Amino acid sequence: MIRALVLFAAVYVALIAQDFLPALPFFANARLLLVPIIFCYGALWLPFPAMLGLALWSGLLSDLANLHVIGDQVEIGLGWSILFYVFTGTLLQTLREAFAGGRWEIHALASGVLTLLLLAGQYIMICLRRESFYFDGTVFWHIAGPAIAALFLAPFFYFFFRLFPGGFRQQARRGRRLTP
Amino acid sequence: MTKLNLILLGVAALVGVIFLGFSTGRMQAWQSRFLDVSTPAIHAGSALSGKISKLNKGLKTLDELEAENAALVAEINELRAANQLRGELEAENRRLRSALDYRERAEFKLLPAEIVSRDTDSWWSSVKINRGFSAGVDSAQPVLSGGGLVGRTTTVAKDLSIVLLLTDENCRVAARVEGTNEQGILSGRRAKGNAAPEFVLNFLARDAKLEPGMKVFTAGVSGGVFPAGIPLGTIKEFRARELDGQAIVEPAADFSKLEDVFVVLGSQ
Repeated sequence: MIRALVLFAAVYVALIAQDFLPALPFFANARLLLVPIIFCYGALWLPFPAMLGLALWSGLLSDLANLHVIGDQVEIGLGWSILFYVFTGTLLQTLREAFAGGRWEIHALASGVLTLLLLAGQYIMICLRRESFYFDGTVFWHIAGPAIAALFLAPFFYFFFRLFPGGFRQQARRGRRLTP
Repeated sequence: MTKLNLILLGVAALVGVIFLGFSTGRMQAWQSRFLDVSTPAIHAGSALSGKISKLNKGLKTLDELEAENAALVAEINELRAANQLRGELEAENRRLRSALDYRERAEFKLLPAEIVSRDTDSWWSSVKINRGFSAGVDSAQPVLSGGGLVGRTTTVAKDLSIVLLLTDENCRVAARVEGTNEQGILSGRRAKGNAAPEFVLNFLARDAKLEPGMKVFTAGVSGGVFPAGIPLGTIKEFRARELDGQAIVEPAADFSKLEDVFVVLGSQ
């Protein structure tokens, strides 16, 4: 239970902290995203209802922190990230059993893919809103760079969260034993 | 998946859809409340980040401090002289305007502010400043630096505001080129890479006679956000396109070293 609370707090702390992290000069000054890494851990570890709670929390806070109002409209509205985290979290729940066996690499790979999908989705939405599509090396690195960084940063988060007592994983194991 | 989980999934998705249906004003009000709650954390983060960056720069030697002091004194003297000249020109301008029966030009109040954090996302260029509506800041107010125009405020909380930078593709300004009748729309570029930021000035005349080094200022369209005459940058390159002309403009403000800015609060 403590670990679950730490996950919810970590999402908020990461949102504030990532504003102060330097850009990645070797990835065309792309920015580091920490929230998808934390959400990924929660989606792979928490039971389904708690995962949905984390998805709502992560999505709402991300959208509030990154909402850009231009004139009288927003390009990516409040709620988009909630839907993104709810659906990707639901997909990640299928890997929960494998993750419970201590497969940290699942978290690393999932974090990379989730970050990539999040940024690619945002960029496609922006292009649709602005009615022009533009793609070059900079755009590529702004999508791929944070995803690669997430891939390498995820193990640190995995081992950090394991420092806190859990509770849900044991329940998942008990559930599995009871299943015929 | 159990029936209960399916219902919960539906409810979570519905919450997302409900938020998507919010009006822009309502979304902005939610963001303003979020910024209010997060202001102490953002200010603490900014203070910590400032301390770390000072540590990284290291301590200066006495010789370095003396040299820096001498340079600053020289700069102060230069600015004093320029300011005195400006005052004389302003007085002369006022005299001539009143002689010609022109409307008095509005004076603006500048509110100093400090940048507390930079944008995290790759697709927009924005910063947060440590002034909000408690200091008189409102949305859509111009923000300047020592060099020139920097951007405009968007969401404003009690002691924090978001500034959309001019380097953003969506921050568009009506601009005019010094010494010509050329006017166009200046904006940033979509994705900013390693290179120093540049603006594009679109909708110029195809046959405009623009040379590199010419200065670009805000045009001050009536009913617009930005007052006239604020420096934007200098022309770097001009190219004629099929229907219009486009100029690449080097920014007057140094966006890589933005720390202190001024919010234009409106007429006094």
